[in-house]
Amino acid sequence: MIIFKTFLKVLNKCKAPIIMYTVFLIFFGGFNMKTSDNSINFVASKPDILIVNQDKEEGITKNLIEYIENNSNIIDVEDNEEARNDALFYRDVNYIIYIPENFNKDFLENKNPKIDIKSTGDYQSSLAEMMLERYLKVAKIYKDVYSSETELIEKINDTLSKEVKITITSKLDTNKLDKAAFFYNFTNYCILAGCIYVICLILSSFKRENINKRTIISSMNYKEYNRKLLISNSLFAIVLWVFYVLLSFVLVGDIMFTSHGIIYIINSFIFTMCAVTIAFLLGTLIANKNAVNGIVNVIALGSSFLCGAFVPVEMLPDTILKVAHILPSYWFIKTNEEIKTLEILDFETLKPIIMNMGMIVIFSILFVIITNILSSRKRKIS
Amino acid sequence: MFIHNLNYSLKTLLKNKILIFWTFAFPIILGTFFKMAFSNIENSEKLDIIDIAIIENDEFKNSDVFKESFKTLSDESNKDRLFNTKYVDEEKAKEMLKNDEITGYLILEDEPKIIVNTSGINETILNYVVEEIAQSETIMQNIAQKKIQDAISGTIQFNSYDVLYDNIYNEVTNIIKENSEANIEDISNSNLSYTMIEFYTLIAMACLYGGILGMVAINQNLPNMSNNGKRVAMSPTPKYKVVFSSVLASYIIQLIGIALLFVYTIFVLDVDYGTNLSLIILLAVVGCLAGLSLGVAVATIFKANDNFKTGIVISFTMFGCFLSGMMGITMKYIVDKNIPILNKLNPASMITDGFYSLYYYDTLDRYYFNIISLLIFAFVMIGISTISLRRQKYDNI
Repeated sequence: MIIFKTFLKVLNKCKAPIIMYTVFLIFFGGFNMKTSDNSINFVASKPDILIVNQDKEEGITKNLIEYIENNSNIIDVEDNEEARNDALFYRDVNYIIYIPENFNKDFLENKNPKIDIKSTGDYQSSLAEMMLERYLKVAKIYKDVYSSETELIEKINDTLSKEVKITITSKLDTNKLDKAAFFYNFTNYCILAGCIYVICLILSSFKRENINKRTIISSMNYKEYNRKLLISNSLFAIVLWVFYVLLSFVLVGDIMFTSHGIIYIINSFIFTMCAVTIAFLLGTLIANKNAVNGIVNVIALGSSFLCGAFVPVEMLPDTILKVAHILPSYWFIKTNEEIKTLEILDFETLKPIIMNMGMIVIFSILFVIITNILSSRKRKIS
Repeated sequence: MFIHNLNYSLKTLLKNKILIFWTFAFPIILGTFFKMAFSNIENSEKLDIIDIAIIENDEFKNSDVFKESFKTLSDESNKDRLFNTKYVDEEKAKEMLKNDEITGYLILEDEPKIIVNTSGINETILNYVVEEIAQSETIMQNIAQKKIQDAISGTIQFNSYDVLYDNIYNEVTNIIKENSEANIEDISNSNLSYTMIEFYTLIAMACLYGGILGMVAINQNLPNMSNNGKRVAMSPTPKYKVVFSSVLASYIIQLIGIALLFVYTIFVLDVDYGTNLSLIILLAVVGCLAGLSLGVAVATIFKANDNFKTGIVISFTMFGCFLSGMMGITMKYIVDKNIPILNKLNPASMITDGFYSLYYYDTLDRYYFNIISLLIFAFVMIGISTISLRRQKYDNI
């Protein structure tokens, strides 16, 4: 009991970073979880477009703006070039269309007026460009044929409104599973950083020279001492894990009650246990309390960046992902991503996930073995 | 005495390993992580060639428009190539879709139909292209109809229906061909790489973290902080000499750290700071001064232990970097747009914005605004420190 009490005392001292990691999790978790309508019907992606109209809003100009408005999200920023440039740089808009003065008049008079655009060059902007080009082409073709403005506009709208039937096969609620995957990917950082920080600090407090000497001469068996220390630390890790799981129920919602959700929870539990073994290994290696903070940041941030906890895995370069194979976080995040795509849960589909979990367990065993070798060597030396 | 104290301050600061880790090594390590994680983001946001399938049934074989369009769009030598198209039967297409080998497939029956797995950007583009092809059929019909009407109403003279058909067909294809180019010009700046902001916040972080150096250096001279400080305070050396030489020592170390970080980010991480080297250096030097003055102010205002003061500098820095976009680039934009005053007071944002304006803008107004803001920040901090350092007296310590 005395060990547990001391444990709690030390734990109380390092609550600030734990709270900070959790705030990060809630903030970024909540930030990235804008709900959109889950659809069994197809929803076209809409680029964010800003229109700067220097012409009078009539005729073709008006119709062009209406067409763009119907097929994109129109973004408004302050009416100056700097605000527009900033919006483009920070991807608030993907595409800016500058409609020149007298566009309508020049267009009808066959002068082929030029439209300036600014584009971010990503796929949203490509889509926006396709949209604008399509309109201009159709309008130009019809202008040669229909002389009356109203007839021209009517024909353009009639043609552009022609749609193609599109069907979706998958009935999986990917939107909510995306959220769950995002949340649990982010917990990679929180669990790792939390466990390593707390356990390393506690171990180093217990290992302080005076305290260590006192423990050694006490009547307590060192095996019992080690066991109690291990239990208290694991208990802390489990409490942390339960807390994050509960948080996921709040932030992610009812999808956590499905069988997909349960796999997320099991996966995170296995990873938490692995984090404990990593923390123990580091705790035996580090003697200096001041160094803990630096090491936590390097290891937790490093494996989060490398394995795709912050940046989606598909956006990471391939070489980085190859290197990431040697980190347990990679397998944890891989499972999170794979659960998203599972439609049917049976042994066959779950096989790769069980393999990933197995990898994490193997890592944990490896860390325990290394820790034991190191600590027994240290004991002999001292 | 000035040189003597400068010399020893340099030595004590450089021997403090933890301090050197946070000010020198940590920004470099973090920068490396950024590079690893972000180097591919912008490429992966560009439009890739989309894998699709088309059901090769009779309707498709008979439709010249669809056949030709997809042939051109899937042609490997076409620089505007959009698709990698496989022509298969329906069973095979379903299987490929299930295995995520294709984005979707097109089936032509009475009218075109697309089958996809989910809603998404690639799916939207496929939908768009098919729509456009279907619309071009409508366009041809419409124009032909109009031309025939004109012919019947006598606007166009014709001798026989065969000639009329050929004429109209040629005319329609001509009209479409002539108008196949939209007159659009891209006038956007080529420096649009938004992940650069991450590296700019990194420099901002390093500049402000440098404040810890200034703080430690000042603490060494404060009688209430250490025995060393008591001895320094007792000595007959004028205070300004001691303080100034300590602060100068930490500024020198800070500048060395920033120089290393710049060399590393430019040559190893390929960070683009724009072309104006002297202005980049000026911004870094002024940024460091702001960080230093922050550290000195924290050291003199707060009567607390070392850890508490370090905590204040670090949390101030991290919060500042958070607002200027380190943990999510759009954060800077959101703050700039909605609460601009917050980032005008935030030194991390001034540094980040200074680099951003050098990189993205051709004019220098915004850059100089940031430099002046940083200088004002530094002088306010130095002023506060001077006031609280002057005439300190202790009845007991």
